[in-house]
Amino acid sequence: MESLIYLMQGFGTALDPANLMFAAVGVILGTAVGVLPGIGPALTVALLLPVTFKLDPGGSLIMFAGIYYGGMYGGSTTAILLNTPGESASVVTALEGNQMARRGRGGPALATAAIGSFVAALIATAGLAFFAPLLVKVAVKFGPWDYFGLMLIAFVTVSATFGSSPLRGLTSLGIGLWLGLIGIDQLTGQTRLSFGVPNLLDGIEVTTLAVGLFAIGEALFVASRHLFNDEKPMAIKGSIWMSREDWKRSWKPWLRGTAVGFPIGALPAGGAEIPTFMSYTMERKLSSKPEEFGKGAIEGVAGPEAANNASAAGTLVPLLTLGLPTSATAAVMLAGFQQYNLQPGPLLFVQHPALVWGLVASLFIANVMLLVLNLPLVGLWVRLLKIPLPWLYAGILVFACMGTIAANPSVIELMMLVGFGFLGFVMRRYDYPIAPVVVGLILGPMADSQLRRALQMSLGDPMILLQHPGSAIMIAIASIALLAPFFFRGLSKFRQDED
Amino acid sequence: MSTPTASRLHRPTLVIGIGLFAIAAITWHDAANMKIRASYGMGADAASYFISIFLGLLGLGHLISAFRRQTDPEPSDWKAVLWVSLGLLSLIAALWFDLGFVLGSTLLFCFTARAFGRKALLADIVLGFVIATGIFLLFNKVLTLGLPMGPFERLF
Amino acid sequence: MTYLHSKLVAAWLTAAVAVLPAALPAQAQDLELTITAPAGAGGGWDSAARSLQDVMMSTGAARSVQVINVPGAGGTVGLAQFVQSAEGSPNQMLVGGITMVGAIITNDAPYDLTKVTPIARLTGDPLVIVVPSSSPYKTMADLIEGIKKDVGRTIWAGGSAGGADHILAALVTQAAGEDPAKVNYVAYSGGGESLAAMLGGQVTAGVSGYGEWQGQIESGDLRALAISYPEPIEGIEAKPLKEQGYDIELVNWRGIFAGPGISDADKATLSAAVEKTVKSPEWQELIKARGWADYYASSDEFATFIATETDRVHAILSSIGLAQ
Repeated sequence: MESLIYLMQGFGTALDPANLMFAAVGVILGTAVGVLPGIGPALTVALLLPVTFKLDPGGSLIMFAGIYYGGMYGGSTTAILLNTPGESASVVTALEGNQMARRGRGGPALATAAIGSFVAALIATAGLAFFAPLLVKVAVKFGPWDYFGLMLIAFVTVSATFGSSPLRGLTSLGIGLWLGLIGIDQLTGQTRLSFGVPNLLDGIEVTTLAVGLFAIGEALFVASRHLFNDEKPMAIKGSIWMSREDWKRSWKPWLRGTAVGFPIGALPAGGAEIPTFMSYTMERKLSSKPEEFGKGAIEGVAGPEAANNASAAGTLVPLLTLGLPTSATAAVMLAGFQQYNLQPGPLLFVQHPALVWGLVASLFIANVMLLVLNLPLVGLWVRLLKIPLPWLYAGILVFACMGTIAANPSVIELMMLVGFGFLGFVMRRYDYPIAPVVVGLILGPMADSQLRRALQMSLGDPMILLQHPGSAIMIAIASIALLAPFFFRGLSKFRQDED
Repeated sequence: MSTPTASRLHRPTLVIGIGLFAIAAITWHDAANMKIRASYGMGADAASYFISIFLGLLGLGHLISAFRRQTDPEPSDWKAVLWVSLGLLSLIAALWFDLGFVLGSTLLFCFTARAFGRKALLADIVLGFVIATGIFLLFNKVLTLGLPMGPFERLF
Repeated sequence: MTYLHSKLVAAWLTAAVAVLPAALPAQAQDLELTITAPAGAGGGWDSAARSLQDVMMSTGAARSVQVINVPGAGGTVGLAQFVQSAEGSPNQMLVGGITMVGAIITNDAPYDLTKVTPIARLTGDPLVIVVPSSSPYKTMADLIEGIKKDVGRTIWAGGSAGGADHILAALVTQAAGEDPAKVNYVAYSGGGESLAAMLGGQVTAGVSGYGEWQGQIESGDLRALAISYPEPIEGIEAKPLKEQGYDIELVNWRGIFAGPGISDADKATLSAAVEKTVKSPEWQELIKARGWADYYASSDEFATFIATETDRVHAILSSIGLAQ
């Protein structure tokens, strides 16, 4: 119960009026910048990092916590309303969330995302406070073979985002995997498919791809269609609040999303994307109305958003206990710690308990503030959609391009963004799903390097994947998930296709 | 594009299939020319070969389905697509020729608005200019981030 | 939010100054510099550039300093852009380091460091060789013995392929009398991810910047066998490889460069401004806080150093098979 006493002291620190104000400022800034399309939490934190430099360490880290969580909230808003996720972890949110918004249910979608994020962050922050040292011991035992097993499961779950045609879904995934090859191979230093262009050597930036495919592709597609499509794509119908049924359909996904997101986020190479894919697939399988998926099922927003935020708190576990940044945002956070000569690591909890527990406590407080700030804002955000279509999309394009060149001021990066925009347009036009491309780009390189690391450690013996119980179990799960449908339903379905 | 094809061959699917074959061939060629070998385990070429084969199979799938009945996409307003493209190209050109972020974004804004049917060009230019200048000042001055500068931006 | 406010005021002041005619002879305190950090925000080169920015402005060595980030390919993208845009420019500088030397060679980059004008070497950090606390290896000699016994089963973890960590692992393997091409080096994206592999006991030994793993070394989770710095460092228990009888030294240095073909007068002005900054108590305090070691060398000394360093890195990268 030592932790509890420390946490109480932490609340003492965080509830100091000045610190409370820093948290509030952080939350507002984080939401405001994070809500811009094309700007995800990592860039938000990086942009606002200098603002915190001149504060004392405690106040600065507290403001930081606010910015971090605020940026996460902001990122999902644009994904839902405008189909322009600011970061890869919101790609899944956009799938159902934007469909809901198009059916005039943007309000409930934003609300379930906000409350789900709150619930997830609350539970996950508690997990961080009490189980971090324990969890990290398990997490570092995760070898490359185990990661490879996890990637296989993630790959299988991707099929949930394929839409109606497996051929098209696999083609999208293939394009993503192919894009993932581009650049210098991390393990050997060999360049792949860079065609002598230096800007390609570091590979394709996930954010550039996601923003190009979603924001720019969407703008092009809507432009090409609005003449023939009289219905306004995003009218607001009905209540902007969640109905009793929405609540009933949301609370389980929130908890399940948290349960998936937090532990995977805590893995040193887990990340935030994989749990969102997994949560989406899980909700689709467990939903009482699976036919609504792809047409705006609220579970498909509630689960992944909870998973996303839980994994964000999860990434703080290796960051605080090992000094190990596992996401772009966490890497920027680490830079923030180092500003004050604080080295996150095993000794941080011992050497600076007041600071760490103050940070944990302010995560709780930032979370409450976000809910208070965001629920009333739902009404305001939804009104964004009342902006006349020409200005709305013109604004989206300006912000999306700005986000990309702000992160990397290079014409070539902008050209890639535009190129991906046209790819997104063509894919939409011929009914290819968009999300698997992003998934392929994220998972492909990870699976590639983890598999090769495992084989390098075993001097080339593939049996290593089955010798470790963790990876053996995960590979078995992935194989069953892949093959079972063929055994049970596959044959009859194939016959139907023939007719 | 949208007219039902007389023959049973669906051209877009065929083109995509051929495109996939081309990408697969490039990837295979690239992998075959890799020089750095891994001392233990698999090299960087393994994934390239794997994905090359995968794309080849998908290309084959497209060729087969090109002979099946496909739904044609709905008609498109190509003029609108052209306007948006023009906007994006102006931003690229503005950065390429060091004319600055504000000019490029203003053009992007008003061309996109035009694509969606706005005719009030002057009003859109003013609005786009105000938005772009606001973004520029916010990012370059308050957040000290380097958005590309041109003659106009250097005035600040 | 007074900081934001002062930032705004400062911005307006710089803006006001910028429109004044800049025809006066260049003096250090009038310098308006742009420093290119050839990496994304938050990385080592970025923080070096921004630290320099802070101290140059606070000590009055320059009037204004702007940092721009040009990330990509171990700094070679930034270098190429810098070579093209900073030709003869009296107010542009670039941050670089040993990783860039390696990346130029492995990427076969179009421009190398002979194209730019060295101004000063700034900092140098020791690399550390560690084993997990549960490892049977207690000393550097044990590790060398292990390499001799089975070079393939001695698995190393460290940063990206061809980087400083990889080079050190290869040098140690070479010192053990084995072919450096046989080193079983597992590359991770950074000191963080390889740390997890170390703590999980999946690898035999690891290499990283000392600062990155300092916490784990002090807490006893990792055992430091040696550092790669030529001399012992105050506050670091591990002894240099040289002191332990292995003729290996490798310093993760960072330096600053000016554009190609700048005039001698401009070079002198820039060198003086950097020297003034580096010798200031503010800089010494700042690098201490960041855990960097002062490794200052003046322009000419730095130029010779780069030449020998390039040859050395090239030789070892060729023996690993990463360079022709």
